[in-house]
Amino acid sequence: MVVVADAGILYGLIAVGAGLATGLAGIGAGVGEQGIGAAVVGVVAEEPGFLGKGLFLMLLPETLIIFGLAVSLILMFAWTPFSAIVTP
Amino acid sequence: MSRVVVAGSKDVISPVVEKLHELRLLHIVNYNGDQPEFELGKPIGKAREYSENLIKLRSVTRYLDMKNKAPERTYPESQVLSEMDNLLNNVGGDVTATFERITEIEAEIKSKQDQIKSLTPLSVIPLPLEAYHGYDSLATFVGTAVTPVEADVARVSPANEVFTGTAKNATYVAVFVPVEKASEVSAVLSEHGFSEMSVPKLEGSVDSAIASLNGSIKSLEGELAPLRKKLADVKKQYEDLMLATDEYLSMQVNKSESPLRFAETENAFVIDGWVPSDQYSRLKNELESAAGGKLDVQLIADKEAEELVKGGEDVPTKMDNPSIVRPYELITRLFAIPEYKEFDPTLLIFIFFPIMYGMILGDVGYGIIILLILTLLKKRFKTEGWQQLTSLFMISGIWAVIFGILYGEMFGPLGLWNHVVGMISHHEMEMLQNAGLFFGEGTFGPLGRLGPLGIFPLYRLATNAVLLLIGVSLFVGVIHCSVGSILGIKTELNYGEKKHAYFERLPVMLFQVFFGLALLGLVMGLMTMVYISVAVIVISVVMMVMGPEGAMGLAHVPSYVSNLISYLRLLAIGLASVGLAYAANQLSFYVIMPMLSGGATNSADFSIPAIIVGIVILVSVHFINILLGILSPFMHPLRLHYVEMFTKFYSAHGGGVEYSPFGHVRRFLKA
Repeated sequence: MVVVADAGILYGLIAVGAGLATGLAGIGAGVGEQGIGAAVVGVVAEEPGFLGKGLFLMLLPETLIIFGLAVSLILMFAWTPFSAIVTP
Repeated sequence: MSRVVVAGSKDVISPVVEKLHELRLLHIVNYNGDQPEFELGKPIGKAREYSENLIKLRSVTRYLDMKNKAPERTYPESQVLSEMDNLLNNVGGDVTATFERITEIEAEIKSKQDQIKSLTPLSVIPLPLEAYHGYDSLATFVGTAVTPVEADVARVSPANEVFTGTAKNATYVAVFVPVEKASEVSAVLSEHGFSEMSVPKLEGSVDSAIASLNGSIKSLEGELAPLRKKLADVKKQYEDLMLATDEYLSMQVNKSESPLRFAETENAFVIDGWVPSDQYSRLKNELESAAGGKLDVQLIADKEAEELVKGGEDVPTKMDNPSIVRPYELITRLFAIPEYKEFDPTLLIFIFFPIMYGMILGDVGYGIIILLILTLLKKRFKTEGWQQLTSLFMISGIWAVIFGILYGEMFGPLGLWNHVVGMISHHEMEMLQNAGLFFGEGTFGPLGRLGPLGIFPLYRLATNAVLLLIGVSLFVGVIHCSVGSILGIKTELNYGEKKHAYFERLPVMLFQVFFGLALLGLVMGLMTMVYISVAVIVISVVMMVMGPEGAMGLAHVPSYVSNLISYLRLLAIGLASVGLAYAANQLSFYVIMPMLSGGATNSADFSIPAIIVGIVILVSVHFINILLGILSPFMHPLRLHYVEMFTKFYSAHGGGVEYSPFGHVRRFLKA
């Protein structure tokens, strides 16, 4: 039985990874929405009836965050690597 | 909807228009003037007089700062007619005169204030005001300078008089030189950073001039107050009558200008339009009796109407929902009006939207506060838009309370629930945790924990609960998307596109449903279910390839998976809100209060300032959380509807046109 890494450190790394997954995905979605949002505001100022469709387009990149979040949730809750830490 | 043509003699155009307006049944199709036999109609009656009066009235209501509001009383048309002249000329003239006087006084006050502003710095120069004006042979420069100017001015113009004074970090100078030296002196001054200012043409010392200006400003302001009060009184007395008159005139203008939308020949007029099919005979009877037989109402056969639609005419859509569902038309309308043959998704929004809202917010305390605020708003703002918006949120708020009970949350976990309703013992909690069956520590009072494995009240931050909610969110997504797909199939069949229905919409549904089932099978260890599901998924992918898009259809497969994952936001946004509430409670009860009371651990030992600071922080964080709790649980289900559900069936053929019959809903006028 060989201890590959300290379980605490590994758990910490998982937490950091989970944070990065959500955070970076959030930045990505934000960058995506920035351009769309600016364009939508411009269009809505000219034609208010476009609000719904504009909103639709603006909310599209938001799924990205959810992907990041799904990865985080899997890391934090569903994936227990402790069986892999301790190898026979 | 049925397409009708109303044709009649011009003799009866007025009574027909009057009747149409009263009936509010015919959605008029504007005549575009492209047929040489017909010309555009001309206005009837006193259209010009009505519009002129309307403009007059609107300017008066603008002076009175009147806004659209809910009617307090209504007026019969006869009263409006008899009072209109008085209202427009006497009251209106009075209001206009008063308003103009107010504007005049305000302008005067403004100009006097400007004078005071430019006079104030001059008080540092020891000259009376009349000394600045009225010279023939002298040029005057008054203003600020950065550096001393005397020496240079004396160099170019030996004959000079310079006065200086300093105030508020600036040096003010007044330079008097002979006119012929003016341009040279001006050049010299600009080297010293001189910037000129204007001196008002007044007399006496600066201070006394300012005092007299202040005095006259005061007396002008004194004059303003009664004038403003007069306008307020007039507004109070005539507001509803004016709005009623506005309504009457708008109606008349609308009626007299309506022939502009008709086709006309020398002696006849023709109106095209759509009418709800069950109302056709009523329209026909009423119009024919109003016109005394000089009119013909014809129903256009479906086939011919179909041709017109193909030629680019829109069939208007009348959204017909029960009154409790109607507020949700707002959400549908924001996206697009359904086309005539499309399914109106409002009912679905009514079912899913509040549940999703509740699932995200899920807090008894927040729910009740939101309901209270909404009740206040509903009482305060009586206009239709506000009423619909508040009703929309109210239903959602009720669901938030229901889910709050399921989650056992009252102002967040660690909040009031465990203290008010009850919780299990520590010993029991530890046992559950060790067994991996911990779903929360709250109880339903004497009922204890309910549901299979005792999962309710579900503590959303517990690992088990998060995993459970991931699954639940995904399956809400599967159901939501499937409903969308079923409607997509139905819509395609309505348009007669069988290939699109069975090879584009159906496989998407199969894919998503069995993707969900495959995941469920994996989690529950039911391998047969997984194998069957994978087989169906493969079949659905093959169907997609056979579909209208061919192999390109495969490009959409990842988006069907991401559609489902997107529903994880139902869990995620909720967790964020729970997290904030948890942080608020933790921060004030377990950090701030003990810290400020010098490390006391028992709540009885907390000092009073510590409790006050703790409560202020608690309330403000919860307040922010409630605001977020109104916004994000609204936006995200909205997105789930617009992006994930509507794309499966809605507006694939472009938005529709709303049925808006010719006529008017009376508000301030009695019928």
